[in-house]
This record gives sequence, C-alpha cells and structure tokens, in this order.
Amino acid sequence: MQRKRVVEPEEKIREIPGSVFLFRSCTGSLEYPGTESAVTETLRCLGIEPLTDPDQTCCSGYLLTCSAHTPEVSLAVTARNLALVERKGLDTYVFCNGCYGYLKELSHILLHNQEYLEGANELIARWGYHYAGKTSIFHVQEMWYRLKDRLAAKVVRPLNGLRVGVHYGCHYLARKYDILDDGGYPTFHEEIVEALGGTPVFYKERQLCCGYAVGRGFTHREEVVQPHLFKKLRNARDSGVELITTVCPGCNVALDREQPNLRERYGEDFRIPVVDLAQLIALALGVPAAKLGFEANTVPLDDVLAKLGISE
Amino acid sequence: MRERDADRVDNLDRLVDRYHLVENLESCLQCGKCTGVCPVANLSPSYNPRQVIRDILAGNKDRWLRSEEIWRCLWCANCYTLCPMDIPFPLLMMQLRYEALENSYGVKYFLPFRRFAMRALEDGLTFTPGGARGRERIMKLRGRIGLKPWPDISEKARQEYRELFEATGAKAWMDAIKEEEERPVTLTYLQGRITDAKKKGG
Repeated sequence: MQRKRVVEPEEKIREIPGSVFLFRSCTGSLEYPGTESAVTETLRCLGIEPLTDPDQTCCSGYLLTCSAHTPEVSLAVTARNLALVERKGLDTYVFCNGCYGYLKELSHILLHNQEYLEGANELIARWGYHYAGKTSIFHVQEMWYRLKDRLAAKVVRPLNGLRVGVHYGCHYLARKYDILDDGGYPTFHEEIVEALGGTPVFYKERQLCCGYAVGRGFTHREEVVQPHLFKKLRNARDSGVELITTVCPGCNVALDREQPNLRERYGEDFRIPVVDLAQLIALALGVPAAKLGFEANTVPLDDVLAKLGISE
Repeated sequence: MRERDADRVDNLDRLVDRYHLVENLESCLQCGKCTGVCPVANLSPSYNPRQVIRDILAGNKDRWLRSEEIWRCLWCANCYTLCPMDIPFPLLMMQLRYEALENSYGVKYFLPFRRFAMRALEDGLTFTPGGARGRERIMKLRGRIGLKPWPDISEKARQEYRELFEATGAKAWMDAIKEEEERPVTLTYLQGRITDAKKKGG
C-alpha cells in the first residue's frame, strides 16, 4: 500500500500536451456518436489536438469481463493498441470508463508480469509492433478537471443553474490508485459542473453502479439491473436532478435506454436525460447542439435545451 | 496445534487463480467490507463476496461454480475499492466464471456475449449494430453531426484483431463451450428470483 491513492490534477498531468492520442470508444462512437464529437470539439477548444489511428481496434475489455473470452487475447490486443500509440510518442486519452479501466488493468498486468508481456509481444511482433509501456493512459475527464479554469473562461453559454446530477462510473473510481479521487467521496465532476454555471446535485446514490456492467443488462435485467437502477434514478429524481452526466458511454446506455422499461415495470416515468460530461461542456462552450448528437438519446433533452435558451 | 489457513490452501493458484491475478487472496481478513458495499448483495443477499472468498480458501469452491449467484456480479469493483488488503475480487470472479463455463454451468449467461464477440471479430469494434437498418441509422446520425459515417477503422486493424483471437486460442475456447451440454445452476436465495414480472398492456 505504498502507492498514492489520490493525486492532484497538476501532479497527474504536469504539462498540457499540444496533441494527444484519442482512443476510439465503440459505444461512444456508435451508440452515442455525439460523445465522440463533443470530446473532439472540447479538446480543440482547449488547444489540444486529438489524433486518432484507423489501425486501433476495440480495447476488447468489455467482452473479457463478460466472460466471453479469456485474457490472453485482451492482453495481446492491449499491447498492440498501445504499441501503436507509443510509436507516435503520445499519451493515450480515452473517453470511456470501460476503455480506461481495461487499458489500465491490462497494461498493469503486462508490465508487472514478464511472461505475459513477452507472450503478448511475441504475438504482435509478426506485424512489427512492440509494447514497452511508454504511453500513459488518461481519461479525458482528467484533462477537463486539470483545465477547469480554462474551461470556465471559455464558457459562452452558461448553464443557468441547471441542476446536474453526475455519475462517476465504477471503472474510473475502482482504479483505486493514482486517480483524481478515490471511491470515497469524489467531487471533481461537481466542480466542473459548477465552473460551467450549473448547480451540482449531490444525490445520495450518485456513486451507485449503472447496472449494465459486464452485460448483466442482457442476462439479469429484471432480477438485478432494474431494481438497482430504479433505486438510483428515483433518488436522482427526488433530489431534483434535471440532467445526469456520465463519463462512460456504457453507463449512458444503462441510465438512458432503460428508463422506458422502468416506466413499464414500475409505473414511474423519470424522464431524466443522460448525456456525457463532454457533451455538456461542449454545449457550454458554444458548440452547436446539432453537432452533439442528442437525437441518439432515448430520453429527449428538450426541457434542458429550452432552459438553456437553445432551440435546435 | 490447530491448522493454519496456509495449511489448508496448498496450490491455491491451481484451485482457482490460474492466471495468477489474485495471489493475495489468502490475506483476506473476512472483514466483510466487500459485502457491505456490494450493490448485488444488497438486492440478492445470497450473493456474498466475503463468503465466496472464505469458501474458496476452505476448498469449498464447487458450490459457487454451480450457483447462479456468481453470474449476478456487476463487476463494479466497489469491493476492491474498499478492500483493506487490496484483493482484486473481480479478477477472482472472472476466473470462477471461466471454470463454471468449462464445467457447463452458466452457459446461458455466456451465449449472448459469444454472439457479440463473433460480430466484434468481423468489425474490430464491439456493439456494432447487427442489421443493415441499424447500421444505416447510425451512419446517417454520424454523418449529420459531422463525423465520418462509420468509425475510422482499417481493414488491417480488423484482420489483426481477428488473428489475435485465433492465435491466442480465445476463439477455440469460446467455440468449445456447448449450449446443449448446459447444466442447471442453482440460486440459493429464491426470493431474489423474479419470475412473474408483470407485463403491462400484454
């Protein structure tokens, strides 16, 4: 336990890079593509150029934790993807807690087990890749927090006190070491919301898991996921939350797509829209709503946009 | 002299930790923080992470392999976050599930993900829409908000992703699990099972 659990943002990101490698998220690009454009736009607003690579694949972590396959393949896929980034001499920024948790965990396993590292490198050597652990992995939310003041200075469309309930997502907080805040009582999302002119709502169940984790939404929806989500969303609604933000497109799916099913089952219609934190930031920075893909959402954002004086 | 824990758990790695990811399991204090913070234990009391560890250390693993409880874990890792001994419980759960599957338990909880994985093998991406209509809808949406209609992924990436599944034996492992050999799992806490979910309007 010698490792430090919680680090200051200045310690975490010492210098602001001119460009970063932006790691594509499957769900953030396909289910809610507005996340991808919001992250890209926000990074550019902050003067950071996001670079991507068409040779990058899925991180493969989600299906690993669903027990769909064994870890050898995910270790090799991680080594391959990160080797691509290493060649560019950049750090890796992800916009999905899943990608974050899996890349961190799998690269940790690689770098602490010589046999696994050699095995993975041997497999990917056939295409000329080599992973040495030189790229650091960050979540874009860490950059948002690091540059919170810069964000606040660039707000052109303040949130007018919009009551925002944040959702941190387990696979960021559960990293436990070297993150912005541990699972105890994180507040950095709320601070970002405040910087944008919103009113953060500290609802009691804000740290509760989204419930879709490792596919239980497909196997135990009625028995585990729905009662669990019902508890969370009811608490958010009772606390007056008008909008929920996530930093994981997977959580977004659970919290947004499941609401009509909860209405069907429990007869309560929450209608709390759920967006990525980057989408909310981009909105405040003046990125046109039409570029942020809110039409992908199950629960429409009409009331929120009206409150912010935005008509599409 | 009474036996010590260490006497009872020779070759722990062969018992469950085949990937050597939970090597500190024996340090478990049985403090129960994991269970107190577990959202699944909250809803389904017979799922008890502390008891899972205790049973494994006592050589009583099979009851969990045969259980439905292990399939309810959300992998939120709250247990790991609170664990004073830093036991990565989700990595234990992952390996328990492998062993259950290899013994034909819980196959129904694996099949949807094998289908997703097979599609991911083609696309290099997870959760791509299956049908042509779904694809078209997403491509239109992406196009409208100024993105390339399909995420920028090369043929080379998809090919190499597929080959890694073959070369590591991951695909063979998935293929070896047979639906028709499935053995039933048991759920200890029957009240937790919802069998009469009301369908409205139906």
